[in-house]
Amino acid sequence: MTNPDPRELPELAEFRRDTRAWIAEHRPAAPSFVLPQSFLEVETREQFDYLRAWQGALYRAGLVGFDVPREYGGQGVSPERAAVVSQELTRARAPFLVNLLGLRWAGPTILAYGTEEQKRRLIPPLLAADEIWCQGFSEPGSGSDLASLTTRAEPDGAGGWRVTGHKVWTTMAHVADWMILLARTGPAKYDGLSYFLFPMKTDGVRVEPLVKMTGEGGFNQVIFDGAPMPRESLLGQEGQGWRVAMTTLAFERGVEGGRERGAEDLALVWRVADLAARARRDGAPAIDDPVLADQLVSLWIEAEAIGVSALRMRVPGLVADRPLALPLMHKLVFTELAQRATRLACQLLGTEAVLWMGDARAPDDGDWPRAFLNSYGFTIGGGTSEVQRNILGERVLGLPKSK
Amino acid sequence: MSATTGSMSLASHLPDGLGHTGDHDLLRGTARRFLSERCPAREVRRLAGDPIGFDRALWRELAELGWTGLHLPERVGGAGLDHLSMALVLEESGRALYPGPLLASALGALAIARAASGGQAGRLLPDLAAGRVIATLALVEGSSWELDAVEAAARPVEDGYELHGEKAHVPWAQVADLLVAPFRWEGGLSMFAVPLAGPGIEIEPEVSLDSTRRLARVRFTGAHVAADARLLAGGAVLGDLLAPALAYLAAEMAGAAGAALDLTCAYARERVQFDRPIGAFQAVKHPLVDVLIAVERARSLALAAAVALDHAPDQALRAARMAKVAAEGALLFACDRAVQLHGGFGFTWDCDAHLYYKRALASAATWGDALHHRRVLAADLRRLAGYAPRSGS
Repeated sequence: MTNPDPRELPELAEFRRDTRAWIAEHRPAAPSFVLPQSFLEVETREQFDYLRAWQGALYRAGLVGFDVPREYGGQGVSPERAAVVSQELTRARAPFLVNLLGLRWAGPTILAYGTEEQKRRLIPPLLAADEIWCQGFSEPGSGSDLASLTTRAEPDGAGGWRVTGHKVWTTMAHVADWMILLARTGPAKYDGLSYFLFPMKTDGVRVEPLVKMTGEGGFNQVIFDGAPMPRESLLGQEGQGWRVAMTTLAFERGVEGGRERGAEDLALVWRVADLAARARRDGAPAIDDPVLADQLVSLWIEAEAIGVSALRMRVPGLVADRPLALPLMHKLVFTELAQRATRLACQLLGTEAVLWMGDARAPDDGDWPRAFLNSYGFTIGGGTSEVQRNILGERVLGLPKSK
Repeated sequence: MSATTGSMSLASHLPDGLGHTGDHDLLRGTARRFLSERCPAREVRRLAGDPIGFDRALWRELAELGWTGLHLPERVGGAGLDHLSMALVLEESGRALYPGPLLASALGALAIARAASGGQAGRLLPDLAAGRVIATLALVEGSSWELDAVEAAARPVEDGYELHGEKAHVPWAQVADLLVAPFRWEGGLSMFAVPLAGPGIEIEPEVSLDSTRRLARVRFTGAHVAADARLLAGGAVLGDLLAPALAYLAAEMAGAAGAALDLTCAYARERVQFDRPIGAFQAVKHPLVDVLIAVERARSLALAAAVALDHAPDQALRAARMAKVAAEGALLFACDRAVQLHGGFGFTWDCDAHLYYKRALASAATWGDALHHRRVLAADLRRLAGYAPRSGS
């Protein structure tokens, strides 16, 4: 493959060539330690520093923040270039952007609801990974029923706030400078919620690591004991928090989809296909097994469908009868596809599927079983698959609420 | 590296916006309104019980709307539109379970448009574009969906050919005027456009599982056809017909799947048990969402396959196979849940679910079922993954 789109505009094709060359030249050498597979599992300082330096290098090369206006540190140009960078990073299997939560969720929400001052202060270091973001939504007693949360933000009498409560599954909290925080400022279930930009490096906040089922860290619980927040921490209006949080969740679930949608899914399927061509089962190449090949075909078709659905989604006439269907199903579709793809990869390993990372003989360093188990982070986080099905059933199919 | 070759996505071959324009919206809107008015479920049921099963007056109306020649060149009286236009109309005709040869005739005409000489096209296509002549496409004889599994033969005689053999499961042969099919000829295959009348041609209706798409066997016992019945570029064109056939069929099936889903959702909103509409139960809601996902996937792939016919011809056949696989899965799943979630009523003749299910089962077995196409796709995948099978395997 020399060019993924023969009809690509010349300036975009040139940008693609330049980006590819830049990545080839500047990508960091493979580290001596194990890298996490996604931003959800960044555990150690050395992992974090390595990844942060990579995002910083990309930012300084002008490859981050294409759809962010220049006055907030972005490139202020067409988002097509973002798609090209994303495709080229996927193609090169380069390390991921460590401040993903900031780039994809916190940043767009701040751009949508923030004051001029908030945008100018917070967005540039977010793009450069100089300041890292985490998300404080879920609580021990409030998962799928998020609006039942009890963490309180109370006025401190001087215009600021004090936070008391307990957040869980807080990815990156151990390295984060900022948290997007949903907290209660009143008794009403939805209208009593407000959305804050909480500075993490402060007194009265304690971050405790949680261990995932893979043995990896990366997420935490965060305990607030009257932690102070200045007046300008509020994003949007007091009591508007649920609406702002839904905007964040829409970004988190990829409700807005660009041209790059489907590229990562397809790349994963081809990595599994590549594994199938290398792996042996019962003395024969795994890909010769018609049962396994057939399962790969299913994944292939589904990944191609995500890509063409992204094109269709942006043509109003082709989604007129159910305009919300494709945007709202995206998170459910791609996370469940990734789960089945990584499980199939484990099956392809045959007798070697019993080996875990750390064993020198584990195929692909044990990436596949680790990726499969980690795939549950995506089918649970950001609204479980079950909640996604409720949303689709109610908002797209018009079925009555389940409670 | 081989795996990156494979990772060139179908989407990357298609234009942004999928070539869609306001005219497509207009066309689809007209199609939906016209069919809901002129071909509602009670009319589909009436025709399903009719010995012929086809309403010629309705056919003339949709011909006047231009649907029979949407995809044919303007110089022969067609509208000169793209394949996406035809796919959108077929999606709507699938929604309505329109009982008539729109799909079959569109493909027969397309075969002629691609394979005929200028003179043949000029003679045959104007009547097809106007809907005055109905064509059908006969791609199956025995137990194989492979296009070259043809035994029927054309024997050259003075001033034409003599046809021998038998075509099976020919859609709407009972009402068609012209049959387009491959015949063995001079050691290869050639496409023929055969008038379905006269001595030596026998049309034996089959009892079709799907009474909204009537089928027949067409037997040739020395039927004589004129020399220009053989379409000049006929052999080469046969393979190129499969992509549009599957893309169009997939669009029609995706439309039917959407309608079956709507039918079930309407029932789930209204039917009350345990003091609430059954659609409030997640055991009902969540499977319907899974149907929705399958339906939207099928629609995206069917439209993409149609767009590929115009904009990425070298990708079209693979896209069309994927579209057929996805549409078959979606339609069968939608019908499975339609019958089951309608409960006892779903099992009756009075519930429309079985109309869709019979269309689903029959369409599945048309021009290669999912298992057939998945086998071909698996071979593609092996090749794209850079795996060269050992010789003999």
